[in-house]
Parts: sequence; C-alpha cells; structure tokens
Amino acid sequence: MSECYAMNTAPKPLTLALLRLLADGKFHSGEILAQRMGVSRASVNNALHGIEQYGLTLYSVRGRGYCLSKPPQWLDEAQVYAALAAQAGDFQLEVLDSAASSNTLLLQRASQHAPSGSVLAVEWQSGGRGRLGRTWHSGLGNALTFSLLWRFECGLSGLSGLSLATGVALMRALQSVGVNGARLKWPNDVLGAGGKIAGILIEAQGDMLGPSAVVIGIGINLTLPQQVLQQIDQPVSDLSQIATELPDRNVLLATLLRELAKVLQEFSAKGFAGLREEWENAHLYQNKPVQLLLPDGTVVHGIVRGVNQDGALLAEIESAAGIQPEMRVFHAGEISLRGNHHAAD
Amino acid sequence: MDLRKIKTLIELVENSGIAELEIKEGEEFVRISRSSTAVQHVYAAPQQHAAPAAAAVAAAPAAPAEPEGHVVKSPMVGSFYRSPSPGAKPFVDIGQTVSAGETLCIIEAMKLLNEIESDHSGVIKAILVESGQAVEFGQPLFIIG
Repeated sequence: MSECYAMNTAPKPLTLALLRLLADGKFHSGEILAQRMGVSRASVNNALHGIEQYGLTLYSVRGRGYCLSKPPQWLDEAQVYAALAAQAGDFQLEVLDSAASSNTLLLQRASQHAPSGSVLAVEWQSGGRGRLGRTWHSGLGNALTFSLLWRFECGLSGLSGLSLATGVALMRALQSVGVNGARLKWPNDVLGAGGKIAGILIEAQGDMLGPSAVVIGIGINLTLPQQVLQQIDQPVSDLSQIATELPDRNVLLATLLRELAKVLQEFSAKGFAGLREEWENAHLYQNKPVQLLLPDGTVVHGIVRGVNQDGALLAEIESAAGIQPEMRVFHAGEISLRGNHHAAD
Repeated sequence: MDLRKIKTLIELVENSGIAELEIKEGEEFVRISRSSTAVQHVYAAPQQHAAPAAAAVAAAPAAPAEPEGHVVKSPMVGSFYRSPSPGAKPFVDIGQTVSAGETLCIIEAMKLLNEIESDHSGVIKAILVESGQAVEFGQPLFIIG
C-alpha cells in the first residue's frame, strides 16, 4: 500500500468493530465479516485499508480473508468489572472507541454531576494532552489510556501532592501485575528501560475551600510500534521492555482503578504525607546528582534529597566552591541526571 | 512591620471597600486610606519589630464599595496559564464580562492543572501575570470591576 496516512485520523467505528471481530488472530473471510456487520465487502475492505497507521499488522490473503497478526486485546467493560470483583460497584466505567481527550470529556461530565469513580477508557485518542499541551500519542491496542473522576471534600489548595500520590498508585498497580522494573521521576512520570512508560495529567475544578472534582488522566505504553515511537520527541519506552509477560489490558485497567481508589482514599485521610516515604523509595533520582532546568531557563545542580509533604522537590543545591550546599524546595522544573540533558538515564 | 504585611493590608483595604484602616502594634502603627484618586497612602513608623497581631482587622465594617475592582489571587504556588493549551484561545481577555464560577486561568503545580474559577462577576479590568509565569500563593492575578 503506497498511500500516505495522517496519524491523527480517528479510526472509523466500522474499522474498530471489524478489528474486534479479528481479535482472535484467525482468518475471517471478507464475506462473513461483511455479513456480520451488515455492510458490503467493499466497505470492509475500505475500513481495514491502511490499518498499519495504528501500529497493527493485517494479513489480507485472497481466498482466506483477513487476519490480524498479534491482535491486541480490546478493552471490554464486562471483563474490567469482573476483574474489579468486590470493588466493581465503586466505578462507573465506559469504554469509548475514540475521543479527542478522555480528560476533557470527563471534565465536562464532572460539571454535569457525574459521580466520583466515573471512568472513561478510550481505545484511541486524537487530542490526548500531556503537560503544557504536549500531545500524547498512541496507536490502537498497544497502550492504555483512561481518565478517572474523583471528588474530594477539600478544596484545590488541599490537593498539593496529589499528582505524586497518583504515581504511587501506578507503581503499586504495576507491582501487583508482576512488573517490578518501573521507577518514578519527579513529579510523576513513570520510567523504565531508559524511557517514559506512563504519563499522568491531572485536572482539577472546584472552590478554594472545597469541594473539588479531579480528573486523573493516565496513559501507559504497552507495546509501542516503531512508527509510533518515531513520532514522539522524547525518550519513550513501554511495559514490554520491563515485563516478563505483558499484563492483560482489562486486568491492568481494573488493577489500576483499584490501586488508585485506595491511594486516593489514603490521600483524602492523610494527604500526601502518608505516601511520601513510599514515593521517595520509588524515585529514580533519590540521592542522585541531578541538574534541574527551571521554568525561567536557568539550570541548577544539586543532589535530590526527597520531596516535602506537598510533593515539592527537595534538593541540596551547590553554590560557590567551599560553601555548604543549601537545601532548596522546587515546585517546578525538569530533572535529569547530571551531564545528561535528556531523560533517558 | 514588614513590607509584605503592609502589602497584604493594602490589598485588604482595596478588596473590602473600606475607606481607611489603622492598625497599631506596640510602637508601630500604619494607616491606610483610600482617596478618591485611588492612591494608597501608607504611614509607617519604622521601629522595632512587633509581635504579629491585628486579628481584629477582618471585622472591619464593609462600606459601599467604590467601583475599584475585585482582586482574584492565586490560591497556590505554580505556573500561570491563560489558555487551556499553548496556542489555544485564552479563557478570558481584558474587557470581557465574566460571571462567578467561570474559569479564568489554569495554575499548574507539579502536573496538577487547577482551573481557577472567578469568585466574582464583572468585567476583567486587568490581567496582572503573563502566561507561563511562576506565581506565589496569594499573588494577585486579575482585577475584576
């Protein structure tokens, strides 16, 4: 196929429905697929044309039909609820084929009184946002992106440290599905095998004094294909690099939700202070010499000593030679290992 | 009495609409009055440091407010953003009418994006911070008249 596809086209509903039928990794004839969808064979062909742009490999063999190589495991509400077991009642999950941004959509629903515990999981995001509007890229079925709405009694000013607390929940969930090689990078990136595996973006609405509504958006790379990796302008990695066996996507989502709920309840009760030590133990740069690029463009050198109860970074900063280093508190900045400008440490 | 405290008092007078405020702390005293030209006059006797006091200030009677402007302050330390993402349209511009509860800006603190809502209805008279700038707790962000 010689056509060029723009990466930012949402897959058509028919395309996703067909891909779900092909999830068994077996051959399905175009005729039977067309019948099951109630469309023409030409429509099936059209809908599956150019599927490579989403990082999938589709075999199309004359006389046999279509077959997905390494078919992704699609998200399924019933399977997630089953994995949540006793905690299923704490969440209202909806799986969407595609959305511009699950965070934006859930924030809108929050203002229309969606309950705490509402979850939107999205197979494909066109406008997923990272910090400062950086786009979050994903193909189809090779990442997990979802947003969770949580309501707090406290106001916005009581939420400091929440983004670090969320990182703790991610670490617990990964350990619980048998992935142990991940580490945190302040404030809340999850790193592994030299790159970023997961990102967290939290958006909060509410009064200063409370209550507040918080939407936690999480994106985790499972098996990023080469063409997706190439579009990302920072060192990235995925779970397949550090996991001996990739977790079931639906079980991973359920585990993340369960650990998030637990951590958010702990956060409501005690704030970040109760999670601080656990966070520091998971920090890749704890007690390491780092450089910190501050928002105003200046760079300081020092040794990371931890975080305070608000989640701000504590570092011993060197000044002139012969003078004792000074402990300083940072609320913003990009950390990297000394002498290494990129995060691929 | 330190400068920060005097600054806080000036803001208090501004926001409350009272015409004049006088506080004594031991040897020191400060009087802040609002003239019709909206210039604040501050008189302070530079003396020894006094113990923190002045809890009664908050109980000052509210007089009919002059069309001065309500100051929206930063509830946290973080980075100030005027639009939901870079290049996007700002939430509000000078001259725009806003109602209480409307989003004015985002303050990012360690990847937590806080949508700051207006606690006042009126017209945006001034935007005191540049997008991307770091802000301190209590720093004035907007004046709404």
